[in-house]
Amino acid sequence: MAFQSELSLEARSERLKGIAKTLRHRVIDMVYAAQSGHIGGSLSAADFVAALYFDIMNIDPSNPKLADRDRFVLSKGHACPIWYAALAEKGFFPIEELTTLRKNNSKLQGHPIATYLPGLDASSGSLGIGFAQAVGIALEGKYLNKNYKVYAVLGDGEINEGIVWEASLVASKYKLDNLIAILDKNNLQLDGTTDDVMPMEPLVDKFRSFGYEVMQMDGHDMIDILLTLEKANKNISHRPIMIIAHTTKGKGVSFMENKVGWHGKAPNEQEYIAACLELEGESK
Amino acid sequence: MNFMPAQIPTRRAFAERMVDRARDDKDFVVFESDLAKSTYSYLFHEAHPDRYFNMGIAEIGTSAIAAGMAAEGRTVIVCGYGVFITMRALEAIRSFICYPHLNVKFLSSHGGLTAAIDGVTHQATEDIAFMTTLPNMKVLAPADTESAKAAFDIALATPGPVFTRLMRDPLFDFYSSKESFVLGGSKTIRTGNDITIAAYGDMVIQALQAADMLSNKGIEAEVIDFYSIKPWDKEALENSLSKTNALLVAENHQRRNGFGYELAVCCLENKPVPISLIGLDDTFGESGAYLKTLKKFGMDADAIAEKAEQLVSRKKMLR
Repeated sequence: MAFQSELSLEARSERLKGIAKTLRHRVIDMVYAAQSGHIGGSLSAADFVAALYFDIMNIDPSNPKLADRDRFVLSKGHACPIWYAALAEKGFFPIEELTTLRKNNSKLQGHPIATYLPGLDASSGSLGIGFAQAVGIALEGKYLNKNYKVYAVLGDGEINEGIVWEASLVASKYKLDNLIAILDKNNLQLDGTTDDVMPMEPLVDKFRSFGYEVMQMDGHDMIDILLTLEKANKNISHRPIMIIAHTTKGKGVSFMENKVGWHGKAPNEQEYIAACLELEGESK
Repeated sequence: MNFMPAQIPTRRAFAERMVDRARDDKDFVVFESDLAKSTYSYLFHEAHPDRYFNMGIAEIGTSAIAAGMAAEGRTVIVCGYGVFITMRALEAIRSFICYPHLNVKFLSSHGGLTAAIDGVTHQATEDIAFMTTLPNMKVLAPADTESAKAAFDIALATPGPVFTRLMRDPLFDFYSSKESFVLGGSKTIRTGNDITIAAYGDMVIQALQAADMLSNKGIEAEVIDFYSIKPWDKEALENSLSKTNALLVAENHQRRNGFGYELAVCCLENKPVPISLIGLDDTFGESGAYLKTLKKFGMDADAIAEKAEQLVSRKKMLR
């Protein structure tokens, strides 16, 4: 297979869209099989996760501990179905294992535990703590003068946690320009809209004042995602990067989109079939 | 005693009582950290919106803010998951709620492996150790709907901080609404002369199932529900052990520094008897179905019955 960078932007985008669709389908399959798990925040992150794992990041499934690999931390750990789907699709472990999610003796714990699964760079699931670990991984990269990048995905409810802002102070103080944080701004958290539960705006100003180089992208426009991530990779600002990804919770399954109820609920049989049909592009 | 499958989990029973009691008690307020749909504190939000504050996903802040409000004389009910309350907010609870003996009450859901499917990050398997160690803190662990409702009443009536450990999923109901529960009390829910099984929360049902298995083998177990973990009912334990002379403690928690350690030390200090402790044996849990996970870690009724049988034969050898 050709290196992705040899393809045109449009060709890369088309390829990734197909992969993102597959990942979405896997998420639905996994949570349906487990009858438990978090679909909404997995689907909102699907497109940029696909871009990172299948185009942008330097990783090798046959050597998950490669020293210079790019790191990925899903700080919003409850959305691990999308992470597991990407890792399996990339070849880190067999796809058949995906449906063991949340079951006894599975590598796919309800929230991601790094010691259980090759390819996980940090455990997460208690909000904010994954991001602080990502800052630590980036600090180590700077300290050792390594070339790897650290991609960390945060939820827009998660940033209520004080630790996110403590870690941000450190990222700024130590000029961690190898850190690329992505805020999955889908505007919903468990109890309702982010504006209702805890207003965080103005986010751009907040992140900028904490020392970030702030970028924004349409989290479901693959070309915008690729261009923004490439720009972030060429960071010359000596500041950590915060990309605000504008997304839709439940994206790709119309009856789940923008519905707070699909934060942490498993589909029943009818809902599962309807979701599959929609993702397979057939009429309902 | 009748056993019926519970219609609601204890987390919901506690929250429903909180809503009911707000009508006669106009003083207390409720704090939430974006888990209202899971702790069922949303029921309170619907009924009493002016007395409800959602602090966002920010647990130490929520407890520290509660300390500030409670220091002004108000009673605050803080709702959340056991892992986040007892670990993330631990310092705020210890130094700024327990030390000044403030009226902050904790609705702590997802106790032990009842949160099995969510995995270790969501399983509160050290919460009893953390909370019982704190001076001034009182700790309750109801096993069914009625005792969970009563736990709210006890928490509200007891001055100072009270932590109530609740469960994720509905199990069984066995107490009638006429049953009375008090701080420091217990319920002997099955009598027997061969061994005392002490349990709390979800493990009461496992203990009762084990007692049935033991009975088939001619061993009569006395089962005590210690719904009040701190303070706990020393008299009930002493009375029971004076008959049985053997103690098995079954808890959905780390064995180390759990309720079993408390009871074992009490026995050592007073009247030593053969003791066995059931719980997580210095290990983390993992994701899975609740009952399968209990079995995997040797904490289900089968494991209790097996250990109890061993304990009874040890007791006989000692004679």
